[in-house]
This record gives sequence, C-alpha cells and structure tokens, in this order.
Amino acid sequence: MAATTSKMLTILVLAVLTVFTSADVCLGPVVKSETYTTSETTVSTETVFISQFTLTCKNGLQNINLFADVAGRMIPAVRTTVTNQYQITITDEYKALRSGNYESRFYDEEGFSALKKARRNNEDVSTITPLFTINISHGGVWQGTYIQSEFVAACVAILVWWLAFSTKSKLTP
Amino acid sequence: MAVTKKTKLSREEELLLQDFSRNVSTKSSALFYGNALIVSAIPIWLFWRIHQMDLWQSAILFVVFSLVSTYLVAYAYKNVKFVLKHYIAQKREEGITKEMMSKLSEDKEMTKKEKDERVLWKKNEVADYEATTFSIFYNNALYLVLLIVFSFYILKNFNPSVNYVLSVGSSAGLLALFSTSSK
Repeated sequence: MAATTSKMLTILVLAVLTVFTSADVCLGPVVKSETYTTSETTVSTETVFISQFTLTCKNGLQNINLFADVAGRMIPAVRTTVTNQYQITITDEYKALRSGNYESRFYDEEGFSALKKARRNNEDVSTITPLFTINISHGGVWQGTYIQSEFVAACVAILVWWLAFSTKSKLTP
Repeated sequence: MAVTKKTKLSREEELLLQDFSRNVSTKSSALFYGNALIVSAIPIWLFWRIHQMDLWQSAILFVVFSLVSTYLVAYAYKNVKFVLKHYIAQKREEGITKEMMSKLSEDKEMTKKEKDERVLWKKNEVADYEATTFSIFYNNALYLVLLIVFSFYILKNFNPSVNYVLSVGSSAGLLALFSTSSK
C-alpha cells in the first residue's frame, strides 16, 4: 500500500513538474528591438553590433535566460537592469562583418541546448525553431575619403606655384 | 674728382638709378610688408583649426614667428622684384616706346630728350608695377606650397608647436634663400 502511495505521489509530482516546465516556455513572444552597428572606421577599431530588446510573453514570464545565434556565433543575451530588457553584442574585424542583414535567432535554455546538440552531432539545425528572431541590418563601414584633404590642398598649391614658376621662367631668359 | 664736382644728377640719371637700385619706395615697401604679414598669418589658422593648437596658449609663438616670417617673406619679395624688374623692363621696352611715342608725337614742342625721359619713366613705372605684383604672387604661391608640404607631410608626426616653428621657419627661410638666386 505504502509502495502504491509513493508511486502515485511520484507520478503526481512528475505530472506537476511538467506543468511547471511548460510554464517556463515563453508563449507568444512580442519583441521590441533597437540595433546599432558601427558605421565608420575613424573612431573605431572593429565593427560592433549591439541589439537591445524588450521581450514580453503572453504568459507573463519574466527574466528568462536567452541565447542568441548570430553570424555563426552562439552568445548569451545579457539582462539589463530594466525588467525583460536584454542586450547582445558582437565585435569583430571590419572584414569579418561585412554589410548586409544578419538574422539573430534567439532561444531559451531548452532550445539552445537542442541547438548545441544538433551542432555537435552535425544534424540539421533548421528543425529547431527559435523563440523569435531579430534582424540586424548592417550598412557597412565608411573607410573615410579616398583622397585626403591635405593632399588636395597640396596639389592645388603646387599647381598654382607651377603656373607662377612657368610664367617666371618665361620672363627670365 | 669729376664725380664730386657733379653734385646734382640729371633727371635721366635719377630715373636710371631708380631703375637699377635695390631700394624700394615707401609705398611698395608697405605693400610688401602688408602682404608678407597676411601670408605669414595664414599658418596661424592652419595650426589653430587643423593641427588643434590653442590660440591663446601659443600666442607668443604665433606672434614671434609670424613677424620673423613677415621679414623673410618681404625680403624675398624685394629680391624677386629686383631680378624681375629688369627682365620685364626689357620685354616691355619696345611696346612702351611705341605707345609713348605715338602719344607724344602730337606734342611738337617737346624735345627728343624729354620724350626719352618720359619713355624711361613710363618703362620704369610699368616694370616696377608688374614686378611688384608678380613677385608677391610668385612668393606667396611658393610659400604656401612649402608650408603645406612641411606641415602635412615632412613634419606631420611632430608635436604641433614644433611643427609650426619648423614649418614656418623653414618655409620662410627657404623662400628667402631661393629669392637670392639671380634667375
């Protein structure tokens, strides 16, 4: 009898646990995001992508752990001091992060471990659907003008001087 | 002895002397120094706005080197003007003589000597004016070329104060040096 009771209890606990676990999944995520990407090279040494977003779940889930898969990198999303606000940052050389659209896929812990497992076993990762995605549009970096202004100034000055010099040469035999 | 006897020079001789002398009139001297000052002050703007030097902290440096540069640039103006004046006078001689003669031909009372004097005077005036303006133009152009090349290329890795002193000093110095060549 005691054994039956303990069995039943175990089943009950397990059943309740599944309810808890299912409550950990963010349902109907609504994301409001802002992104920043480096636009020029004069004040920076590398390209930086920053994406900051607020996540609202229909089931009222707050401050969950999120992971991002963007441009071949798997990184955790950092929670900011504001509730439900997260941030991800990627830095790399200018050449490594060319202009274009980068789709960053976000996963919760469960999805992320499934993704890692699939990667490890060389399985198709497209079957693992992300919780939500954010598009990071990078317009490329401006490398500065091709011709520097002092070069133009020097050329103009030399041209004027050359005109003056050739006139002077014509005057003097 | 013969020289001391003749104390008063004739008008023609005076004109000839004026033609060949290195001295410049007060008017053209003022023009030279005024222009030289403006050109020498241009680097202040360059080093203040582009090379980020503080205008008030470096005021003494700016003033001293602008004055030194003014002197050297004015010296170069004078030298180049002196050299060019003769060549210009030779080039313009024919034209000026023709023009003056046709102008003076109506005046029957004027003597040949007086006409020659007029021509010489006109020639001197034209050559002086042309040489003055061309000398200013030529030296300004050369000064700015030297300054840009020195400050942006040769001395670009120096501290701005050192860059200013050396680029203004060497530009003005080289300008003065080049002006002493007789060609």
